[in-house]
Amino acid sequence: MRNVKRTWNVNGERRTAEFPPMRRLLDVLRNDLGLKGSKEGCGEGECGACTIILNGDPVVSCLIPAGQIADGSEIITVEGLEKTDSGRILQQAYIEKGAVQCGFCIPGMIVSSYSLLSKNSNPSNREIREAHAGNLCRCTGYENIVKAVRRAAEQWPAGKRVTSA
Amino acid sequence: MYIQSILKQVLIIFLSLKAANQALKRSRASPYDKGSRSIRATLGYFLHTLNLRLRLREIMPDTKTNPAGVVGKGVARLDAEDKVRGRSGYVDDLEIPGCWIGHLVRSLVPHGRLRGLKRDPYFDWSRVVVATPKDIPGINVVVMHDRSMPLLAFDEVRYLGEPLALVAAPTARLASEAAASITPEIDALTPILTLNELVSLFKSEDPRLFRLSSQTIVKGDVEKGLSEADHVVEGEYTAGHQEQLYLEPQGMVALPEANGGVFIQGSLQCPYYVVQELHEALNLPPGKIRVKQAAVGGAFGGKEDFPTLLGGYCALLALKSGRPVKIVFDRNQDIRYTTKRHPAWVRHRTGLKKDGTITAMRVDYLLDGGAYLTLSDVVMYRGMLHAAMGYRCENIFVNGLVARTNTFPSGAFRGFGAPQAIWGLESHIDKLAQACGMEPHEFRLKNGLRLGDTTPTGQVLEEMGAVRVLDEALKKSGFDGKIRRCSHGRRGEKKWYGIGVSFFAHGSGFTGDGESRIGTKAALDLDFGLDAKPLVSVRVSSTEIGQGSATALSQIAADELSVGIESVGCPYPDTALVPNSGPTVASRTTMIVGATVHGAAVKMKKALEEYASDTFFKGQSAVLKGGFFRCGSKTFSFQEVAGDYLKQEGPLHIVHQFTLPPTIKWDQKTFRGDAYPGYSWGCNVAEVEVDPVTLEIHLKRVTSCYDIGRVINPLLAKGQIEGGLTQAAGYALMEKIGIKGGRFDADRLQTYIIPTALDIPEYEIHFIEFPYEHAAPGAKGVGEIPMDGLAPATANAVYQATGLRMTDLPITPEKLYERLNEKR
Repeated sequence: MRNVKRTWNVNGERRTAEFPPMRRLLDVLRNDLGLKGSKEGCGEGECGACTIILNGDPVVSCLIPAGQIADGSEIITVEGLEKTDSGRILQQAYIEKGAVQCGFCIPGMIVSSYSLLSKNSNPSNREIREAHAGNLCRCTGYENIVKAVRRAAEQWPAGKRVTSA
Repeated sequence: MYIQSILKQVLIIFLSLKAANQALKRSRASPYDKGSRSIRATLGYFLHTLNLRLRLREIMPDTKTNPAGVVGKGVARLDAEDKVRGRSGYVDDLEIPGCWIGHLVRSLVPHGRLRGLKRDPYFDWSRVVVATPKDIPGINVVVMHDRSMPLLAFDEVRYLGEPLALVAAPTARLASEAAASITPEIDALTPILTLNELVSLFKSEDPRLFRLSSQTIVKGDVEKGLSEADHVVEGEYTAGHQEQLYLEPQGMVALPEANGGVFIQGSLQCPYYVVQELHEALNLPPGKIRVKQAAVGGAFGGKEDFPTLLGGYCALLALKSGRPVKIVFDRNQDIRYTTKRHPAWVRHRTGLKKDGTITAMRVDYLLDGGAYLTLSDVVMYRGMLHAAMGYRCENIFVNGLVARTNTFPSGAFRGFGAPQAIWGLESHIDKLAQACGMEPHEFRLKNGLRLGDTTPTGQVLEEMGAVRVLDEALKKSGFDGKIRRCSHGRRGEKKWYGIGVSFFAHGSGFTGDGESRIGTKAALDLDFGLDAKPLVSVRVSSTEIGQGSATALSQIAADELSVGIESVGCPYPDTALVPNSGPTVASRTTMIVGATVHGAAVKMKKALEEYASDTFFKGQSAVLKGGFFRCGSKTFSFQEVAGDYLKQEGPLHIVHQFTLPPTIKWDQKTFRGDAYPGYSWGCNVAEVEVDPVTLEIHLKRVTSCYDIGRVINPLLAKGQIEGGLTQAAGYALMEKIGIKGGRFDADRLQTYIIPTALDIPEYEIHFIEFPYEHAAPGAKGVGEIPMDGLAPATANAVYQATGLRMTDLPITPEKLYERLNEKR
């Protein structure tokens, strides 16, 4: 198959890559664009370590053929979080609350947190757990991750606030 | 000053008396604890408390007068920032120019004799490099606890997936095509595949049972004890494989070095193991095998023994091809072809008096070791040492055995044999309680080990935490009230409720005097850091695998030197740069390596105090405290003195070697004596709800209490407990992997199920702090104990909920359904 060329907005920057259309988005991000933050933990969409935000929604990049992603799409990876105030708040909350141990799940986990809080900055514990149920962590038992998300929610910059039932 | 010190001593004696008095009251309050033993125990408790408090003053840094003191504080992990930014370099993230990819040619049968390897003549072999046993420069052996395992099998093939040859190519795809173009020709032999087969062979004393290793523990006379019993209670308990499931799959890379040696980097726990276990095969002196840790995405024991093999494959290919070669498994390969927790069968035969006194404990402990011994003998030792631990009994016989099956060699996994032993013991204890008409907690409170009692190996217990953690967890969970409300499978209830308890110890560090024998060393360096400020570097071979060792060890050094944590670092170990502090295993890092780092810090402090006296205080002796060198009213900051030292004298390099107190005596032949230098203690109370229709088991709440000695970092310690309990919850209820035709049947994350954020119970965690007295700053092991007790506590709760005693892990709704139908 012929290579395709795509230009996306990745972490706020225009990035262009040329690749075989069936190449996994995860591989394009890691190898073509050099964004090694996103991880492969299973390659079948179960562990969530490769989670990124594509046009506003969290997706597992190991299951997406990169050729399917249209020019001009917005992609946020773990490397993009520090470019926003809210991303830095979230990172700080993860650090302070002990949400990180081995760190391999974190690039996907923290992106899921970011996606959740961007849509709902006042989530209930149940909503937090549900939003992270697609991200496996073998180290922490999730307690401190939930605490970190709650902490970040308290400091989340004013914007669209959805009050949970 | 003098009066103050006398007052302090008086206060200490007063507090000790008070504690002893409380202990006495407690023992009186307990209807089961009568007679001379309780008085003796109380006296022992008093003397011990007094002794401990006096000793603690000598070994404990006083945090109250040390504002910079960081031990005991929930300091954030040193590596957390890199990790949340996605900047940590795991092995697959490393940029290595010209790196080829390795692949393995594996046996497709579980047992057989290899006739040869047939290469496809139509494949272009000039584009790849192939390594077979003939290419091994030295002896074809991986030297673990014996010399039975080859690096590449060449005659008898002992498990499905056993490596026979290796391939390297410029791309992963070409490497995999090349490996698929080599066909092993094997004459199949009859395999033994499962634990059930081993148990049958064991029970029928069949000579086909191949013993990889065996051992006994003897205390008193177990037959005499059984003959004196009013009841004899028997039970058999089994547990299957458990996959470590670190999120980062195994991966290593090897680079040929100009001196003819090899540089190996990757995801591993024990850098020096790789050197020691491979140098014969690679025919290189240990100094020419340099091993460095990359960021490790979880390990849990899974990266203790296996990385040696993967490192060996990469090294062999790198040496033959003259290029860097990397192998990173995908999840499917990782589950199929790496170590797991040993499947185990535990049989108890216990003698009881009518009043609940235990007269004898006979335990058979059988492990499925897989195809080669690797480190299974030591897993078996640890299992046996925990198989009858924690209870008063004068007549004990433990028979340990690890036998061969034709499956992937079982290996290290958090707990190292103890979780299987404690699964059996703590399930059985509930049966014992029932046999003499006592509640599970009453039986444990009556029989639990106390200060001054002896363990199965005759070790006199010095730990104060023992039965205290039980007491505390029972109180905090309200066990006494809740046990009366359990459902016992009553019809008409919407949810069946049950509560269960487990009480257990975990030996910290290596068995016996092993910690002295291996000569654990740690180094501390003082030099200018990148910001041109004095920086203390902890140099140890202990690996940061997510547990937080780099942070905890830095805290210990910072605390003793009374500097902030930002003035200390702990880089990833590289065998060219760090002394051998032993492997990162056995809940030993914070306790043993921590004590070694502490020893080095004491020496560094003394050296700097001496320098400060000479240079800044005209020979008057100076003391480093609270970040300042002080003499009279004059002070100089640590930074000033250290900076001056570095300018005048150059970098300061300190090495310290660990020793255990000589009182620790162990006989490795008879298994008598002090089995561990110390024990951590734990109690788990599990509450479950079982749906009477679907039989779904919902673990609702876990209340736990631990004595892990001094808690160096409460944030990290709690993180260890929560994570370990979650793995134990998976072991108890969902992690199921069987063997079909020699192959693991749940070899993907879609089929091997681990707990998600929605599956975990509410955790309540308490610590009772009794600092370990033989090694400052007083930590004991924390890494493994969270794995030990939750499976039996959950099974005991399931029993109270359903009336069914489940004896095989994991406890699934399907198994409950079968048992329920048998009953009906």
